[in-house]
Amino acid sequence: MVRHRTKKDKRQKREEYRAAIRQEGTSELPRKKFYRQRAHANPFSDHQLIYPPSPDQMDWSSLYPHYVVDEPQEDQPAPAEPESSPERDLAPLRPKRISADVEVADIGCGFGGLLIALAPTMPSTLILGLEIRVSVTQFVEDRIKALRAQNDAADLYRNVGVLRANTMKFLPNFFRKAQLAKIFICFPDPHFKTRKHKQRIVSTSLNSEYAYVLRPGGIVYTITDVPDLHEWMVQHFEAHPLFERVPEEEQEADPCVAIMRTETEEGKKVERHKGQKYVALYRRLEDPEW
Amino acid sequence: MDLPYHLIKVCGNVVFAAQGSDIHSFSSALEHISTWKYPVKQPDESKAPESEAQESPAPEGPPTKRRKVENGQESASKGQQGSKKNVKHDLPANEKPFLQKLFTTADGRHLVAMTGSDKTIWVFEHDGAGNLKQLSQRAMPKRPCSLALTLDNRTILSADKFGDVYALPLLPSTPTTEQQPPKSGSVTPIPTPSSTTPIPFKSQANELTVHTKRNLRALENQKISLRRNAQQDEAAGGTTAQCEHTLLLGHVSMLTAVCVGTVTTEGGKTREYIITADRDEHIRVSRGMPQAFIIEGFCLGHEDFVSQLCVAPGGRVEVLISGGGDDYLFVWDWVKGELLGRVGVLEHVKGVVGGGEEEEVNKVAVTRVFACGMGEKTSVFVVVERVPALFHYELLPSNTLQHRTTIPLPGNPLDVDALSDASSPTPRLLVTVDSSTLTSAEEGAAVASGPSLITLDQEGAGWRRTTAENLPAGEAVNMTTAELHKILYSTESLRKISDFD
Repeated sequence: MVRHRTKKDKRQKREEYRAAIRQEGTSELPRKKFYRQRAHANPFSDHQLIYPPSPDQMDWSSLYPHYVVDEPQEDQPAPAEPESSPERDLAPLRPKRISADVEVADIGCGFGGLLIALAPTMPSTLILGLEIRVSVTQFVEDRIKALRAQNDAADLYRNVGVLRANTMKFLPNFFRKAQLAKIFICFPDPHFKTRKHKQRIVSTSLNSEYAYVLRPGGIVYTITDVPDLHEWMVQHFEAHPLFERVPEEEQEADPCVAIMRTETEEGKKVERHKGQKYVALYRRLEDPEW
Repeated sequence: MDLPYHLIKVCGNVVFAAQGSDIHSFSSALEHISTWKYPVKQPDESKAPESEAQESPAPEGPPTKRRKVENGQESASKGQQGSKKNVKHDLPANEKPFLQKLFTTADGRHLVAMTGSDKTIWVFEHDGAGNLKQLSQRAMPKRPCSLALTLDNRTILSADKFGDVYALPLLPSTPTTEQQPPKSGSVTPIPTPSSTTPIPFKSQANELTVHTKRNLRALENQKISLRRNAQQDEAAGGTTAQCEHTLLLGHVSMLTAVCVGTVTTEGGKTREYIITADRDEHIRVSRGMPQAFIIEGFCLGHEDFVSQLCVAPGGRVEVLISGGGDDYLFVWDWVKGELLGRVGVLEHVKGVVGGGEEEEVNKVAVTRVFACGMGEKTSVFVVVERVPALFHYELLPSNTLQHRTTIPLPGNPLDVDALSDASSPTPRLLVTVDSSTLTSAEEGAAVASGPSLITLDQEGAGWRRTTAENLPAGEAVNMTTAELHKILYSTESLRKISDFD
């Protein structure tokens, strides 16, 4: 009984805390302990996800409010053609436009360490974190909100956003062909068991989707502390004809690699445990002739 | 009870119809020619496939969920009877798997069939007169959901429940060529360390990394079972070798349909594309072999599962019609990935089913989209799950679909195909109907009726309906209507019921 009560208290506290943060809109950073969640999520199950039917119907304006384009209403001549209902059916609602496209995606962004570190280094590029766990996404959302408020004068962190999504299923719902310049896959779930390998975020068939959303020349960044998984990712990217490994020299010269090593939460944890980190970068090649 | 014909395929002058796990062939006048029966094992052997079939949905997936067995009290009171009932319930409804797909090569010389629960693809040689000779029987790693043939009619594309598309040769190469390394250039498979050849399991733990007594014991057991498996494999001596198949592409979602599209470039080159649809609303367009790893685009706009894809006939190769759990059929320019239009299905279904004491229909599951040229026009016929009518649309020259007529039927249609006849300008439609759903009005005439096959001929604005007679009686199958319906009407179950985070 006692255990039961403490559990409830914990949940209650957590809810109260989060409600308070929402209401006050404080610029205080959220505290992780109120957002903890089980580290694994099954990518095959039907989560209650919100995603647009196609990238054109994605509303980015709430994620990047500073980039919203003030469009004159003439763009939507709704009263002009009221009869042509099939036409209207085709484009149900046009979301507010933003002045730039997301070009960097962090797949499985976790608590958002990489996003926050990357944001000031590429202030004019829109960065999006994608995370499947609800609470963790919420944390990053609150974190970004607080950081934006703290750095209002400096215009910082306006280019980062976070979304709850299952990228293994719905990546093409968010991004058009060749939209992205960089994809980060940092410390993904290793899924040790052979029968869970299908759940790994890197596989030859999924690499085709990464190749689809990446522009030629774009780069996939991978890092892990699990040697087996590193080998797996290398093997699968190596096997894909649309990817080529970035040479070590170039890899070490890339400032994103340093950030990826030191700024992600997992990276810090591995540092504390004196673990090893394995990095591999892959460049998207041009589609071959056929 | 007698099983209905649930699949029908026309091949020249011959009509193939699947009934349960058997294939019948008929002449164009619907006279029975021959029957292929699913090979049944001897009773003492039959145990094995049965247990296999039970495991089949996810042999490598997580162990099946433990089911709640009747609680102690109840089983005690019911005694033997209770437990027996339970066992019976756990067995698969029928020991012979149903055929799930049937199609012929362009030249009509081969028939390809697929059975569900045993995950097997069958290839038959067809002599052109309705007689079949079984050439091969290949079990796939995962249950196939849909099949297609490449343009050259030499490769079968199999889209499976796990989201992967495999290519397998129509006629398996002889063992001599099998041993040769695959010709480079002809097919560049995505080399998958994971799929084709299973890596021998290697334990990642050893005595040094295991610290508790219990884990140590588990490790020892694991080693013993590994040794035993190795011995068994040796004893089996290579019979476990799987058929050759190559992974082409994959979704992280159950695939529901696959088809092949072609585009002729300005240079006169014909390019082949693989179009796949999944349960998560996607229609993906990938290049054909050997570049299937390149995704050319998506046709996005469905808001529920996609179950049917159909490339328009009559030279309009870039037009794709899709249907599924949405209230509409979608018409796409799949080359550009553009939505050309939608047309309602639900509204017409309401005209058939609505208006009664039954609760109103608010969703539909499209199970067949079949397009064929009718004279000058292109007609599209749509079957909706559990709706006793066939919906006739016309694909206009502007590439929009328009509803023409709703053809009422005495029972639920299961499949539809068209039989061209030299004597008539428009093809004759063949519709198989689930006889267990025949409406009460006609029930008097057809109580305990066998399989039901209906022909439809266009007459002016309407359709003349004839019921085929003298169909051979199938084997009586020990199966309840509910069990049968569970197998025949499985499309609606693709709809997501997500009620958790």
